[in-house]
Amino acid sequence: MKKLYAIIFITFFSQAAFAVQTIKANVNGMVCAFCAQGIEKKMRALSQTKDVYVNLKQRVVAIELKEGQTLSNDTVKDLIKDAGYEVTSIEITDHPVAHIKAELQEKKEAK
Amino acid sequence: MQTTIYKQCLLALCLITALQLLSFQAAAGPMGFKDSFMAMGDFNNNWRETFINYAITPRDAFGISATYMRSDDKDKTRTLEELTYTRLLKRWNMPEAQANLWFIGGIGALQGENEQIGKDDDFDKIMVTPGVQFDYETTRVYLAATYRFYRANDINHDYSSVRAGFSFYETEYDKTQPWFILEARNMNGLSDKIEVTPMLRLINKSFFVEAGVNNFHEPRFNFMYIF
Repeated sequence: MKKLYAIIFITFFSQAAFAVQTIKANVNGMVCAFCAQGIEKKMRALSQTKDVYVNLKQRVVAIELKEGQTLSNDTVKDLIKDAGYEVTSIEITDHPVAHIKAELQEKKEAK
Repeated sequence: MQTTIYKQCLLALCLITALQLLSFQAAAGPMGFKDSFMAMGDFNNNWRETFINYAITPRDAFGISATYMRSDDKDKTRTLEELTYTRLLKRWNMPEAQANLWFIGGIGALQGENEQIGKDDDFDKIMVTPGVQFDYETTRVYLAATYRFYRANDINHDYSSVRAGFSFYETEYDKTQPWFILEARNMNGLSDKIEVTPMLRLINKSFFVEAGVNNFHEPRFNFMYIF
């Protein structure tokens, strides 16, 4: 019985962990909120997007996807290019946008 | 003649100062992102401009513009309605800065009036307004230089301006950031003087406004809005 509980717990936990997928892009040229609003608007317009976070100082754009949704790196790069900026690197993380925001703010305060 | 030389020297000095600032550290531009509209306004007593354009690509925007111009002595007035084209010629996206070279041009109808004692002179002409703008911006420093021809038959109202400024502090993306901006500009044939305006700029992800008082003690207000 204990084994069954453990399996249920692990299964639930792993599903929860995989439920969140966030694309974190490092972007060059992003210096002004008024100009960078295009990135946020283009990302939020996608049906796959749950939340978007932009950090000018750390040059990061994070796009959290809705559960079960995917978005290719090329699509992200193209949309950011259309907004006038250049993606230097992309990573996929299972942290939600709120976590990335807190992490970057912590990093800023540490400086 | 001496006034013209003085004007050119002052503008050159401002440009050199701006370029020197580049060595410390290097938008808002005249168009938004692809598929967006940008509305702009620039208002003081002698220069009132409203402008809207639509970006059909990340680098090209078409728009319309209406401008009212008046000479310092109030004897000359001009109104100009233009079709405009804006082109991002070159953008440098750097890790902590962005620089842009823009082409801004238009063609339109100029209506003018020169008031003279006993003889008023009204006219209608076609005016063309090609020009370039260079700007450089970080999260803390802003520099820009603009030169735009305003030409019609027997009319030369070329516009030149330089701008330099700094932000008081850095903010998060969704917070309003205050800037200090100093601008020097001149409109040939309408003013012999350099208009110098210190302005407070407020930038948010949704709006861009500037307000100040120029060296002739006249108010100035600018705004930009993207939708």
